[in-house]
Amino acid sequence: MGAPYGSAAVAALRGTGAEIRDAGPGDTVAGVVPRWVALPGSTEEVAALMRVCASLDLAAVPTGGGTRLHWGRPPERCDLLVGTRHLDGILEHASGDLVVRTQAGVTAEALAGALAAAGQELALDVPAGGSTVGGVLATAAAGPRRLRYGTARDLLIGITVVLADGTVARSGGKVVKNVAGYDLGKLFTGSYGTLGIITEAAFRLHPVSPVRRWTTVRLPGPDSWTVPDGSGRLEAPIGPIGPTGPAGPAGPAGMGDPVGPADTAGPIGPAALASALAAAQAEPSAVELDWAAPSGGVTVSALFEGAAADARAQAVQGLAGACGPWEVAGEAPAWWGETPGNGVPGEILLELRVPPASADRALRAVAARGLPARVRGSLASAVLHVALPAETGGPEFAAFVSGVRDDVRPLGGRLTVLAAPPELARRVDPWGPVGALPLMRRVKERFDPGRRMSPGRLAEGL
Amino acid sequence: MTDTTGATPVRGPALDRIARRLAAVLPPGAVITDPVRLRTYECDGLTHHRAVPGVVVLPETAGQIAAVVRICNEYGVPFVARGAGTGLSGGALPRTDGVLVVTSRMRRVLEVDLPNRRAVVEPGVTNLAITEAVRPHGYYYAPDPSSQQVCTIGGNVAENSGGAHCLKYGFTVNHVLALEIVTPDGDIVTLDADDPGYDLLGAFVGSEGTLGITTKVTVRLLRAPEAVTTLLAAFGSIEQGGRAVSAIIGGGIVPAAIEMMDALAIEAAEAAVACAYPAGAGAVLIVELDGPAAETALQSAEVERVCLESGAFELRTAADPAERAAIWKGRRSAFAAVGRISPAYIVQDGVVPRTALPGVLASIDRLSAEHGIRVANVFHAGDGNLHPLVLFDDAEPGAAERAEAVSGRILDLCVEHGGSITGEHGVGVDKARYMPKMFTDDDLDTMQLVRCAFDSRGLSNPGKVFPTPRLCGEVPGVRRGAHPLVESGRAEQF
Amino acid sequence: MDPDIDPRIGPGIDPGLIGDCVHCGFCLPSCPTYVLWGEEMDSPRGRIHLMGQHVAGTPVTGEMAGHFDACLGCMACVTACPSGVRYDRLIEQTRAVVEREHVRPPADRAVRELVFRLFPYPRRLRAMRLPLRLGTGLRRRIAPALERVSPSLAALADLAPEPVRHRRLPRRVRAVGRRRATVGLLTGCVQGEFFPQVNAATARVLAMEGCEVVIPPAQGCCGALSLHSGRPGQAARFARRTIAAFERAGVDTVVVNAAGCGSTMKDYTGILDGGWADRAAAIRVADLAEYLVELGPVATRHPLPLTAAYHDACHLAHAQGIRSQPRELLAAVPGLELREIAESAICCGSAGTYNILQPEAARELGDRKAERVLATGADLLVSANPGCTMQITAAIRRAGATPIPVAHTAQVLDASLRALREIG
Repeated sequence: MGAPYGSAAVAALRGTGAEIRDAGPGDTVAGVVPRWVALPGSTEEVAALMRVCASLDLAAVPTGGGTRLHWGRPPERCDLLVGTRHLDGILEHASGDLVVRTQAGVTAEALAGALAAAGQELALDVPAGGSTVGGVLATAAAGPRRLRYGTARDLLIGITVVLADGTVARSGGKVVKNVAGYDLGKLFTGSYGTLGIITEAAFRLHPVSPVRRWTTVRLPGPDSWTVPDGSGRLEAPIGPIGPTGPAGPAGPAGMGDPVGPADTAGPIGPAALASALAAAQAEPSAVELDWAAPSGGVTVSALFEGAAADARAQAVQGLAGACGPWEVAGEAPAWWGETPGNGVPGEILLELRVPPASADRALRAVAARGLPARVRGSLASAVLHVALPAETGGPEFAAFVSGVRDDVRPLGGRLTVLAAPPELARRVDPWGPVGALPLMRRVKERFDPGRRMSPGRLAEGL
Repeated sequence: MTDTTGATPVRGPALDRIARRLAAVLPPGAVITDPVRLRTYECDGLTHHRAVPGVVVLPETAGQIAAVVRICNEYGVPFVARGAGTGLSGGALPRTDGVLVVTSRMRRVLEVDLPNRRAVVEPGVTNLAITEAVRPHGYYYAPDPSSQQVCTIGGNVAENSGGAHCLKYGFTVNHVLALEIVTPDGDIVTLDADDPGYDLLGAFVGSEGTLGITTKVTVRLLRAPEAVTTLLAAFGSIEQGGRAVSAIIGGGIVPAAIEMMDALAIEAAEAAVACAYPAGAGAVLIVELDGPAAETALQSAEVERVCLESGAFELRTAADPAERAAIWKGRRSAFAAVGRISPAYIVQDGVVPRTALPGVLASIDRLSAEHGIRVANVFHAGDGNLHPLVLFDDAEPGAAERAEAVSGRILDLCVEHGGSITGEHGVGVDKARYMPKMFTDDDLDTMQLVRCAFDSRGLSNPGKVFPTPRLCGEVPGVRRGAHPLVESGRAEQF
Repeated sequence: MDPDIDPRIGPGIDPGLIGDCVHCGFCLPSCPTYVLWGEEMDSPRGRIHLMGQHVAGTPVTGEMAGHFDACLGCMACVTACPSGVRYDRLIEQTRAVVEREHVRPPADRAVRELVFRLFPYPRRLRAMRLPLRLGTGLRRRIAPALERVSPSLAALADLAPEPVRHRRLPRRVRAVGRRRATVGLLTGCVQGEFFPQVNAATARVLAMEGCEVVIPPAQGCCGALSLHSGRPGQAARFARRTIAAFERAGVDTVVVNAAGCGSTMKDYTGILDGGWADRAAAIRVADLAEYLVELGPVATRHPLPLTAAYHDACHLAHAQGIRSQPRELLAAVPGLELREIAESAICCGSAGTYNILQPEAARELGDRKAERVLATGADLLVSANPGCTMQITAAIRRAGATPIPVAHTAQVLDASLRALREIG
């Protein structure tokens, strides 16, 4: 690269103590090749790097394991890729407090290994191998057990970040219960490196369940789902409520109980099944769906954790009605917790979210588009990943996105483009309408007025 | 008492003008300017900070709140939101020069959506009213602050309220799916957990009213657990009780709640509600387990075993809701009950890592002895959240100062042990001065960036959370100069 | 000075009692006016704050008096308070201060005079029943005009129940079977005049359960209405007369079937002082339900196949803590299915003379209560307080719903014990 002050910039970057090298094709960020790669070994080195970037107006993109570097939009500019792989220390595992404090570059596997020794785990089922703590937070990645334990933002209790000007800031701490100050961790979760670089994080942990049972059933395709999904949704504006209870002594009029399998005539749909599982008090930790192709059947699998997991997994047998029996196993199905795409640059991956009772209708909307989509994800939370074949053409892709969006919008749902080749991504708004976008832009302006942190990577103006 | 007003304030002509403008956008009777009435709003649940609000408004819709906020912007006067006024950190302390926006008339449950396990409510609905609305259908709203029959969900959102059961179920932030807010500029914006991008919903929850006013809340509903088991274990000492807590957690059990009370707190509860806890107990532990019956049965046997091994001399298990209520009665009454054994007291709220509890409690004992101030301890033992009740006689000269000193030293202990200055009561106006003990200037300045992004004029609940008011300055330009490569024509910007 | 307002409970508001309030706000959801209006100054915490302002030197303003007047005195906040604040005492003291220091507008004064010169005097009340003995048709026709003239008088006309024939009770009713106890019976003023059948039923039930019932003819008002309206002087006078009447009758236990009367009589020692307080202490006052549960049943209960909703009168539930006993008695009647009314702890708006002095708020609360009563779908509403009965009946009539019969616990038991097919 022939920047006028290229060698001086490299010298300045090296002066921080971080390892610096020229970037190669393997360092591409959503199609954009940076100039250099920095591998700092401490929060202080990250801060020093950011100060150099500030003085030279270099744009920086942080990366962890690089597993989702092709996700998001291409950065408007990218001079320096800041890799966190040397930030790989587990700083403190307070097993008695069920808390771990770790540097951002620690991989999910390494963390799991260290915690397992104490019979504990970070209850985030990180989808892809090699993911780091920082990357999981920045992309708000989550897995099947979001139903029980929430996502990264729910388990994160403290964070250290470096801002565009080199400021090191911490919020939260290493105690689970803490309401002092703003929660910067929440803000940085899902920020895709646009607000700063995450260098450390603290999480609450859970004991590893002594027994795990997956119970799996196969349902036929959407043509035969008889339960009209989403029908239980009720608008029930009721009179003024006194602080002691509802105005109507009998409760809101017309409020229906969740759709259960009892009132189904034919094969049950996935949404009704998930609803029945949730209402059965069996307390599954996850209810996942895998749908290989819109023409075929749907596999639903639920995870039960706890000493009595076996009995609880057996107890839900009746819920699938004629579709049973369920297969109960001590191992997860092969597809469990994996995104449906191939995980490499060029994949087309979308995220579909709807209110859970409308999951069937959302799946039908996908099927109606006629593309060979593969859908997988959390059925009970109705956060589903949709993968399209890499060879999908631009117009087909755009029609798919706008068509599904039109269908799920009335349900209160949304479709987001997580990853797509730039020539496809350009054809659509990756998010669709987001009411809070102007506020997000104001946050970005405050944190990174020089637009040096992964500019444009998340959305226009972020 | 920090009375920022002295006598009844004389409202300036500016506030009178504002009051007239407010009256034009609000229903009849929704603007309060009578000095005697205004004064009843001078404090929330923390009475030693008082300020008579300039004007009080009682809006009924988000649109009305937005109109109020826009008028405040027009005149540059601050506004403070208030729900039921039960906060314990002065988070809803009014401004004498501003408008107090009270949400107590916005108390409708707008929608109950059981198939999607969620409810949409107005901010003035009480925490318990949500559960009462869905209980007949076997659902509940999980966060349960001890003031749940009074406190509003809007206040819970502002404070990120927890409760005894947050050990297993988390806090308000983990149970709010979407918020409609009025921004400090007067815009109505929806923050949704399903939105991509920055988790502004998460940042807003717990921001103590400094980022705007909540006007609608979508909460997650949980299925009522199949089984609930409540155990009461009496120990000779706090140390033994602490050992039991560690052993329970160490054994891989996450109870719904683990609460502990020391001898003095037990004495107070006994005096107030005759809770009949085992005589001679140096500490009682309340352990509540919930979930599928098959799991709680196994766990409660384990908890009983662990308690006995740790030295419990008496164990009681509640067999029905009435017995459960009897066990909880003493714990729930504890704060108000100390009024029966002491003329005055400070309720402190701090957090330490659970494993540091024994050491910190021993230090509190020493502090208590050194200052001649009694401290009763009630705490959420499972998550290390201490509620020391610092007792004193306000008639005794110097006692209040000594109590305040002990109370402050307890927070120091929390910070020294890697904990927090507040686990659930919030920073408000009361603890803003302690924030620098926990955070550096850089940390606070960075938080301030969030504040400025939402509220560049600092009108939304100013003077809370942060120790010194900071100005946001001018809104910076989107870009400082062009990139050198763009300037030199070697790169293109897109 | 008006002898009725003459301060007997101390010269003002006790600052110590105010200091007991820690401002936690637990009383808010229990307060009917807070439930209606959501305003701090119309909550117990806010009213205590106003009392504090007055003690600190702020004179009683019209606004302040309005918020005190708006308090129903239902005492639900006393039940809700974790710190044991004696709001009951505080509001009584405050009302006396208001009566003494605050000059009300002339129209308000006139209505209050009317009420206090009428209700506590059974003979005057009986005379008053004549003009109220209007057919419902006529009542409906004059209502709008009356509403214009005085909402309070309109409320009064609206409340008066259909008249029943007045029956004079004997001075003594013999126990049926073995005599287990001798008790006095307070006949009350509103109960006695508007609901004489309740007193008759009470006497019969007590007799059938083995009690000799003494009913002194010289008894008058117990003083409750005066006490709850800031007229401690008048209250004390009535209290002394009541004590003397029962002393002369030679009973040491007085059974009361009206909630407001019972709570006042149980508090006589707090109203009176010196020798009178000692004489008050020597008489045991028990609510009918409380007394019957203690006594235990001997008479045979015959089936009453109906569903009944039990209404908690504030002065029974909050002031006397009597909630389980009436439910226990009703549930023990074979065939009777008991239903709970939602928001049972919130006042119906009757509250002694409240529905006459604060007609708008009372009407809102009455409507709220009527809605919840009707939602139970019960055949019968059971109410142990004449004020509540009149209030809820009027609200149901306003709602245009099919009227639900209302009976006192005594009447239900009377019907069951006598194997009647109807409650009367």
